[in-house]
Amino acid sequence: MTKINFELFFPALRPWVMNLVNVWPAYIVKPQYANWEVLHIVSLTLLGGTAILMNLRLIGRGITEEPPSEIYRNLRRWQDLGIVGIVVSGVLIGMANAEKLYDSTAFVVKMCALAGGVVLTYGASRPVARADGAVSTSAKLWFVVGGLIWLAGLLVFATGTLINVGLYHVITAAALIVLIAAQARLRWIYLIGLLVIVAVHQWVTHVTYGDPFDLKHLDPVNKVFTWIYVVWIAGAALTQTYVAARNKATPALAKLIAWSTILVWVTGAAAGRWIAFE
Amino acid sequence: MGDSLINQFLTWLQHGLGKGSGDAAQSWSEALLGSLNFWGILEGTHLLALMLFAGTIFVVDLRLLGATFRKTPVSVVSDRVLPLTIAGFLILLATGLALFYAKPMFYYHNLWFRAKMIFLVLAMINIAVFHSQVQRGQSAWDNAPTPPGAARTSAIISLVSWFLVIGLGRFIPYDWFECGKPIPHWANVLQDCKTSEKGAYEKSAQIAIKGARS
Repeated sequence: MTKINFELFFPALRPWVMNLVNVWPAYIVKPQYANWEVLHIVSLTLLGGTAILMNLRLIGRGITEEPPSEIYRNLRRWQDLGIVGIVVSGVLIGMANAEKLYDSTAFVVKMCALAGGVVLTYGASRPVARADGAVSTSAKLWFVVGGLIWLAGLLVFATGTLINVGLYHVITAAALIVLIAAQARLRWIYLIGLLVIVAVHQWVTHVTYGDPFDLKHLDPVNKVFTWIYVVWIAGAALTQTYVAARNKATPALAKLIAWSTILVWVTGAAAGRWIAFE
Repeated sequence: MGDSLINQFLTWLQHGLGKGSGDAAQSWSEALLGSLNFWGILEGTHLLALMLFAGTIFVVDLRLLGATFRKTPVSVVSDRVLPLTIAGFLILLATGLALFYAKPMFYYHNLWFRAKMIFLVLAMINIAVFHSQVQRGQSAWDNAPTPPGAARTSAIISLVSWFLVIGLGRFIPYDWFECGKPIPHWANVLQDCKTSEKGAYEKSAQIAIKGARS
């Protein structure tokens, strides 16, 4: 299968990409690379914390004493700071390391997640939080646009051999949010089912096909199990959102926007980390 | 090679524990480090859990500084947010211990890891002091937009120490001061390189050799 990376889309750019490290300010940043990485990670935590709290509130968890609009009002500037921080430090790190990114599949995922994340956050999640859960037509539109960009990134992630393992971070995060959001009996059914799937998955990949280089079998097995996880977790999320939720104050669509907005940033972070592991 | 008790223990942890018979046998630690994806998943999870842990603790600290949620009582913010922070911390602790187990000798003799542990302990002491001392009078300032100086000091210590824990953690894989390379005397001493697997090599010795050659 063709490796999906920026070279595939822009094959003529390699000389320009290779020269980026010699351009101001990349040649200044290069020797201080590690410091800018720290700024990148700290900005990511600020973005992550504010995105989790703002969107969990729309799902009906977190600081429930205050309405979503109040959470939005208190966190938006810190969230802006986090996003500006990841973009500025990211551009500098990226320029100093450009050729690696040009060849990387995970970087394509990361850019999809960044674009999708910005659209979902500013176009959908924040306007919905500001309106205390009411979803306007423009928020619906941006949700579709941002959601499609994000899904495109996830599909690129899924093309890797064995499934790019970074995808499992997104699945794990989704599994944890459902665990936080699910109520009463649903939570237990969901958790037990999830543990059973994990156990069977591990059994098949480590006992049935014990040879770690047996990619002919392991690749399809991992891809099938990825879909089983996605169906199980998304099924529990939809059941909680549409059926089991006692608190109907927030419309279901607002919750779907909130789920997506947390996970799109997790996708970006996971893809970022897996650039180094490719 | 080190002969101190801790070095013996870490060497056993890295090369001995779980090792079967035969030439190709690996210890559990070596198997973990050499695994196809498991080490990467642990490391990635360690990093991603920071979004949950540090991201949420920053919000609580900012509330204590009076920089956000000024109209919401401190207790409401902390009661609702800290369970998420603790969940994040447990993930960080579990993955962090597993990562240490994969390369115990490397981390033990690593300057950045040692510095990270110091600030981790400082952050923990700060939490203990906050709960045992500062929080005693919380009912008096729970609704205050800006809490008193002691609470704000705790918040600043928390922000600074977690920032340093993250930053120093990111520096760990860089080899600027790796044992066995020509590094300054103080770095050899601080990392106890003499007892590490690669030993200590003084930068001054290298300069002396170069000087003799030229």
